[in-house]
Amino acid sequence: MAHDDPHRFADIHEELHRHLPSEPALRVKALESLLVEKGMLDPKAVDAWIAVYTEEIGPKRGATLVAKAWLDPAFKQRLLGDGARVIVELGFEGWAGGHFKVVENTPAIHNMVVCTLCSCYPHAVLGVPPNWYKSAAYRARAVREPRAVLAEFGEIMPEQVEIRVWDSTSELRYMVLPERPPGTEGWSEAELAGLVTRNAMIGTQRTLRADRSGRP
Amino acid sequence: MDSIHDLGGRQGFGPIVTDEPDEPFHAAWEARLLGIVWAMSRPSGWTIDRFRFARESIAPVDYLTRAYYDQWLQTYAALLIDSGVATVAEIASGKAAGNSPDLAPPMTAAAVAAAKRTTIRYDRPIDRAPRFAVGDRVVTRRDGAPGHTRLPLYARGRQGTVEHEHGAHVLPDRNIDGEGYAEPLYTVSFAATELWPDAAGLRDRICLDLWESYLAPA
Repeated sequence: MAHDDPHRFADIHEELHRHLPSEPALRVKALESLLVEKGMLDPKAVDAWIAVYTEEIGPKRGATLVAKAWLDPAFKQRLLGDGARVIVELGFEGWAGGHFKVVENTPAIHNMVVCTLCSCYPHAVLGVPPNWYKSAAYRARAVREPRAVLAEFGEIMPEQVEIRVWDSTSELRYMVLPERPPGTEGWSEAELAGLVTRNAMIGTQRTLRADRSGRP
Repeated sequence: MDSIHDLGGRQGFGPIVTDEPDEPFHAAWEARLLGIVWAMSRPSGWTIDRFRFARESIAPVDYLTRAYYDQWLQTYAALLIDSGVATVAEIASGKAAGNSPDLAPPMTAAAVAAAKRTTIRYDRPIDRAPRFAVGDRVVTRRDGAPGHTRLPLYARGRQGTVEHEHGAHVLPDRNIDGEGYAEPLYTVSFAATELWPDAAGLRDRICLDLWESYLAPA
């Protein structure tokens, strides 16, 4: 079948729509049973992947990168210049990390990341994306009215700050390096990392606060 | 493919639900599905672009109303059927009717430790120079592609500026069946005022990664 035939998969979806169980949980259960019976799946490996994405691969990795960049200008330059290499050095490499790119917020520029065509996300350093990032509303609105979107996240952006929205249309994966909040002089890497939120690294939060309540 | 997945700039959507729990999964079946897709044996030829083409072929009403991992489930089901290793009836019932496919044995739990660090790169060496340089003004193609493409509707026929040149990357439009053809990839920025009538007075910019064949000199 032609690689660009728009009916190639649409016709299969039509069949699936009519025949699959109505509940997602039942659909997943049926798929798992089938793959195990066909010798294509080991349920213990499924458990292991869930543990990895619950306990290990998540926004703490990104927060570590941010804290290191705040403390070490040379590290920051390498992170901005070749993020994919830096995450290998830290053992953070993985899915969607091959072309990892960090963009830096400044007093004049605010960066915000979206994927309008699907839900591309730097999984290797931020883990599983939040539902809002994958929602139709965010994907539709982020490129057209980023200031209204930011307001819904509690950020009122001054007009003189330029917003740069990064639409992840290729295999490059973007993460925002937020500004270090004032009042954090002398803080340790772990303390600084404790301030960094997932939303700040996606760019839907601009302002981080020096609040030691979250310190490790 | 000009379907509903191409959401950038579409109007009529409501507020964004910003207060969701921090946990990565909000239902047990979501976690299960993610684990299944990473652990399962895969027939040959499953590229990221085939996955995306299959997902964007979901009927618009299902695309907009079904939960994200439910869309993944339906996409992987369609890929299994397209590859001839399962039927609709098998996937619906969870019971195998035919012989098992001749595939590599499935990933073990012990193999996950190495698999989780697997990184796929999409840059490729090519024997020609890029057509555009940083700072060049370019205009995007007005038409889409009949199949999969990564040039969104909202950025077609618009003028922008080349911000970065990334070498050659695999062109998604020709990678559904794993052709692997590569051409230069650029980050192109567009003034919000070039894209949206409602952006008057703002100097915000929208940056997209676009392949050379999507672009012409402005």
